Amino acid sequence: MSPELAAAGVALAAVMMYAMFGGADFGGGIWSLLAWGPRKQEQRLALEKAIGPVWETNHVWLILLVVTLFVVFPTAYAVIFEALYVPLFIALVGIVARGAAFAFRHYGQRESRLARQSLQWFSWASVLTPFTFGLVIGAVTGGHIEVDGSRVLSGPFAGWLGPFALMCGLIGLLICAFLAAAYMVPRTEGALQEDFRRRAIAASLALGAATTVAIPVAAADAEVFAGHLDDARVVAAMAVTAMLGLAALWALWTRRARLAPPLAAATVAGVVGAWGLAQHPYLLANALTYKEAAAERITVVSFLVALPIGSLILVPSLWLLYWTFSRETLRGEEIAH
Amino acid sequence: MEFDTLLSARALMGLSLVFHTFFTPLGIGLPLLLFIAEGMALKTGDQRYRQLARAWTPVVGLLFAVGAVSGTVLSFELGLLWPRFMEYAGGIIGMPFSLEGFAFFTEAIFLAIYIYGWNRMSAFAHWLVTIPIVISSALSAVFVISANAWMNTPEGFRVVDGQVVDVDPWDAMFNAAWLHEAIHGTLASYVVTGFSVAAVYAWLLWRKKPAVNARLGLQLAMAVAVVSIPLQIVAGDFAARRVAELQPVKFAAMEGQYETERGAPLRIGGIPVDGETKYAIEIPKLLSYLGYRDFNAEVLGLNDVPKEDRPNELLTHLSLQVMVGAGFALLFIAGWYWWAWWRRRKAEPGWLPGRWLSWALVASGFLSFAALQAGWFVTEFGRQPWVVYGYLRTSEAVTERDGILVFFVLFTLLYVVISIALIVALLKWPHGPKQPERLPGAAGREAESVA
Repeated sequence: MSPELAAAGVALAAVMMYAMFGGADFGGGIWSLLAWGPRKQEQRLALEKAIGPVWETNHVWLILLVVTLFVVFPTAYAVIFEALYVPLFIALVGIVARGAAFAFRHYGQRESRLARQSLQWFSWASVLTPFTFGLVIGAVTGGHIEVDGSRVLSGPFAGWLGPFALMCGLIGLLICAFLAAAYMVPRTEGALQEDFRRRAIAASLALGAATTVAIPVAAADAEVFAGHLDDARVVAAMAVTAMLGLAALWALWTRRARLAPPLAAATVAGVVGAWGLAQHPYLLANALTYKEAAAERITVVSFLVALPIGSLILVPSLWLLYWTFSRETLRGEEIAH
Repeated sequence: MEFDTLLSARALMGLSLVFHTFFTPLGIGLPLLLFIAEGMALKTGDQRYRQLARAWTPVVGLLFAVGAVSGTVLSFELGLLWPRFMEYAGGIIGMPFSLEGFAFFTEAIFLAIYIYGWNRMSAFAHWLVTIPIVISSALSAVFVISANAWMNTPEGFRVVDGQVVDVDPWDAMFNAAWLHEAIHGTLASYVVTGFSVAAVYAWLLWRKKPAVNARLGLQLAMAVAVVSIPLQIVAGDFAARRVAELQPVKFAAMEGQYETERGAPLRIGGIPVDGETKYAIEIPKLLSYLGYRDFNAEVLGLNDVPKEDRPNELLTHLSLQVMVGAGFALLFIAGWYWWAWWRRRKAEPGWLPGRWLSWALVASGFLSFAALQAGWFVTEFGRQPWVVYGYLRTSEAVTERDGILVFFVLFTLLYVVISIALIVALLKWPHGPKQPERLPGAAGREAESVA
């Protein structure tokens, strides 16, 4: 395996991690917006308390992805950001609004007007951002962006408003909703747990349907990508992902609460992984391969050397964080920090 | 002046950087205060120190959160606004950026453990958690500043036929401007934290507002301030000498020096326009000495630099005046505070700063931020018209996309809303007893004993 391919793998892993952790985080906002029924407030409080300690960390995966792109694939970073500047700016507005709103609500006075308004901003931004990121993924995959060398030829609205991109936006939202609900199941009890369990089941079915429908949509609107879907490795990845999804559904159905989160996370990792394999060798479909976009060999190698050294500090720290805060069951009424 | 793409992009980038650098110095400096406060509590057994750290914790969380999202904005805007720059430089200065990513990640993790760990770990373990936060936050500043330093003194690559070749990422990271920028830029965070925390407590004490152990908080903050500000002035002198050597054009713009001459005077104040620095107080030969440690050294003047290669000397010079002026004012205020305390410490154990000193301390909070922002203005305006000094012009790096002005307006509005919300949230803080800490449970009990 060439260092460039390994680095592309790192970038894909960063997308996976962001989907699994950041996705659940956005999902918390989505369910906050959609909270209904007699336990509306409890649902919101439980979601907020679960997100609290880890939300910052969840979003560092995005920074890691951006950094990987511009260090190792500077041309891809420049081209993708220039081509898709409109949706990326929109996503950025969502990130700022969401982060600030969460911080105000979480660290400020709970009953103030500021806190109530913050909840609104937080929830809507939690829908806007993953949807827009889905559009970007769809555009990167769809093959409608035209490039000459590192110059973007197509217009500012090319690629991210087509049927396939919209499908990816929807899948983005469903991934978030599914993960958040599934993660909440073992961390809640009684009726509240039942609320999240039902939401997780509904979201998993919707996600399964959406990813299945995405295949014919891709065949019509993202030909290059669709052409890779019958590669043996991609088929295998999709099969494994489908099995994982069914296993997650089974765990939710049969109330195996502790099993649901890891299976849900693995399913989402599978979806991202299958997408990544089908995208090979392109970073920007039909326009830029990972080899063309890569920086000089020495930079790629230095990055790959720095990675495990950094991980030596990061992995135990992350483990400590999740270990410290994921053990206890959350009840809606107890919020303290 | 037409508000074209270049100007819109520069305005948006500048706005985002200014917004970001209101939070980052506190994200670096406050952990040091937490480390000191919890350490003092362990050493002396005086729980008031720990209560201070407890009271600061949500403020740290809030400021860090806004700092983190505004940092994400910057990592996006590098690509959204300056794609040609990133294409050129990404592979060269990627190393400090990726290391910064790790350091920032570590900081986020341990800060979360710290904030949410108040009732889950021993006082000693909780103090230990502050150590990786202090280290990683300072390191992330050092790394990201090293990338900025590279833009000023690019190294570690060659350009052959317009192509970047022979990249040496380590050489690029430890470029000539790295050391002085890293020291000066990181120390600035401790200066800002010391004085702005002191300003808050001075105001609360003067207005007799309820606050947790305000006098002790003021002492701690001023201790950080009085150590960091003289160091910062020494570091500034070092930085000026390095700039004089490495970027003589920037040095000339900073000092409003138009004629190349031996024994150049130092100009305090003054307005450099149209080839002349008017109304400045001139101290003969001092500039030559400050720049080159020789009263008769030759200093390059802007008149010997082609017009298209000059930075805006007015903005650069005025920013430098603000930074240096504020820096010395801060030194004076720190000295005044400790001298006043030292004189009365035996006679009045409960001594509080009087009216004038209180106002000076409140002003010091604003002055410290003014110095920090002005310092960045000096570096950034002084680097123009280059984004990579001597290699790539800012005008060549900018995006070819239209409509950047729209996003500039949008982000301005967003930042205004966030700033107002932040001010509202922070103003309610010290005397807002309806904090979540009052809720039942272990956390609530501890908070009540604090209040």
